[in-house]
Amino acid sequence: MKSSLKCVSLLLLGLLATSPARADLKVATSLTDLASVAQFVGGKHVTAQSLCRGFEDPHFVPAKPSLMKSIQNADVFVSVGLELDGGWLPLVLPGSRNPRIQPGAKGFVDASEGVTVLEKPIGTVSRAEGDIHPLGNPHYYLDPKALEVVAHHLADAFSNLDPANAADYAANAKAFDEKMDASLEKWQKQLAPYKGTSIVPYHRNFIYFAERFGLKLFTTVEPKPGIPPSPHHIADLADAMKKAGVTVVVYQPYYNADASHEVAKRAGGVAVEVASEVGGVPAATDVFTKFDSVVSTIAGALAGKAGSR
Amino acid sequence: MLRPIPVVMRMLACLAAALALMPAPAAAQTSSLYSNLANPAIGMNALFSGTAARNLDRAYGLHFDEAEISLISVVDPYWTLVSNIVFTQGAVDPEEVWARSTNIPAIQLKLGKIRGTFGKQGLLHTHAFPFVESPIVMVNTIGEEGFKAAGAEAAWLTPLPWYAELTGGVYEPTGPDGDHPLDLGSTRHDNVPFLGHLKNQFDLDDATTLEVGESYLQGRGGDGVRRAALGADVTFRNVPPRNSNRGGWILMGEYIQKGSSAGGSFVREEDGGYASFQYRLSQVWWAGIRGEAARNSVADFMVDGAGAPLAGAVRRGAANIAWMPSEFSFVRLEYSHARANRGVHRDDDRVMVQMSYTIGYHPAHAY
Ligand SMILES: [Zn+2]
Repeated sequence: MKSSLKCVSLLLLGLLATSPARADLKVATSLTDLASVAQFVGGKHVTAQSLCRGFEDPHFVPAKPSLMKSIQNADVFVSVGLELDGGWLPLVLPGSRNPRIQPGAKGFVDASEGVTVLEKPIGTVSRAEGDIHPLGNPHYYLDPKALEVVAHHLADAFSNLDPANAADYAANAKAFDEKMDASLEKWQKQLAPYKGTSIVPYHRNFIYFAERFGLKLFTTVEPKPGIPPSPHHIADLADAMKKAGVTVVVYQPYYNADASHEVAKRAGGVAVEVASEVGGVPAATDVFTKFDSVVSTIAGALAGKAGSR
Repeated sequence: MLRPIPVVMRMLACLAAALALMPAPAAAQTSSLYSNLANPAIGMNALFSGTAARNLDRAYGLHFDEAEISLISVVDPYWTLVSNIVFTQGAVDPEEVWARSTNIPAIQLKLGKIRGTFGKQGLLHTHAFPFVESPIVMVNTIGEEGFKAAGAEAAWLTPLPWYAELTGGVYEPTGPDGDHPLDLGSTRHDNVPFLGHLKNQFDLDDATTLEVGESYLQGRGGDGVRRAALGADVTFRNVPPRNSNRGGWILMGEYIQKGSSAGGSFVREEDGGYASFQYRLSQVWWAGIRGEAARNSVADFMVDGAGAPLAGAVRRGAANIAWMPSEFSFVRLEYSHARANRGVHRDDDRVMVQMSYTIGYHPAHAY
């Protein structure tokens, strides 16, 4: 008994002693897009990882204890904010037992701060409208310009924690702006022919994208946020799309592909799978390639090149 | 039967007229001296059920089970206060009122009226039970709704490479009573009931996790005898990452034993366990089955001719199906069959329906 206790304490001591040499900042984020921006801004001084994977629904991440474990030693936690991660972060953050990244600490960043939030509910908030986002639409990471705001916010947060490399963080944020602006110009050109055209996303997560690129959201495949479409709703929606000449349905890897394809088929259009988060499809390896893939997929569908599954 | 209605109608009309003539109240309280900006998150869950059980001396119909009000807020930079106040017919139970500190690296400190970290089922709120009925072993060992007591717990997230959490707790002497079948009620000053809990969680693959837990609770009873409960639980859970809101399953089992060491050595008294499988059929439908066994235990239908409870061996099987149109409500239908070796009813069959509604803030459910 005594010797086994000794063994255990030796093992624990060993683990404490051999914790690897740290990168300057260990950054954890709730979304892959935030990890991608954090990695760009942090460069070689930072290792960034996301708790939600790109093909996983960010509204419904299971609050696994292993997620808490994975941020036990993080220096920074970047939340997407606006309660998108509100269903799991209240368990995962305290569960990490890491005082450095709790809300209020220097290491906690709400990435939505400074972003112009769309669809803030006016008047009363009622769940009769489904599982709405009461603080406004949190899917701002589908606007390239909003990610620039995030990049500068992160540069400030990193500099605050690691002043020695502040100049690098600021320079990287500036480089991020330049790369994003140049890319945005390219993407806007690709979508310019379809200005004013309507698309049907599964969830209202494409509002920022639509606003930025001059597209319109006709309505959504889900009748209300979080409420699955009934056969009746699918039929009605397909009819309405037909009448209005809307042909493109857009869904994420974690939404009901069958319902999306059913709507598109009945409306005589196409449904395309699009990553709204980095990692949602293999081509979307960072925020730049994500928009490359989103823009080319949607432009292709609007041009009538993509076929329904 | 119809005659009183006009009177009621007249009264209602008068009331409506009176209300209409009342001065309009000030619209908003924004200019109040008392800011409401730092109000706690407020939520309420209401549970109703109906049971059709031949063996029970209880009227059929819809029952009000409970309304649970939860208030949660950060107190100051050091503490967060969590509370769950449960209202049942004629009673109020401050089931949980505790403060939590997250300022100590690797350790979470909880103190106040807590739900002791014992087992798996015992940590769930009533509206999060996977089946309408709590397992028989619960009510015979640590309590139908787990071990509830005032005390303090420290949960250490160890530096091991996987999630390994070691919890230690001390509590005020409690029981025996309806909520505390385990007698830890000695008022001797050396009686400090304590608990130890180890929880390990492993990711088996992208979608499946394994959780293994062990629990131990000990103290002295009113008669000065040392009493204890021990438990072990295993849970496999699957949440497919591309269908996290539409698919998955939970396979779990738990064993709990209660005993005492009156003659110097520990003697088992009541014990039992369950194994259950829940399967998510779609975004809104869940189905589940459960098998249970318990020894030296009582269930509500195990009575003698005079209606007094009788302990014996009992087995029970249950199946249910739940419709969850949103995170905030569910309706479920459950059937169970039980067989006991004592009492006037050896077999028991029952059908239950349960409804749950949540408004306001909905605290996230533990994985
Ligand atoms: Zn959303």
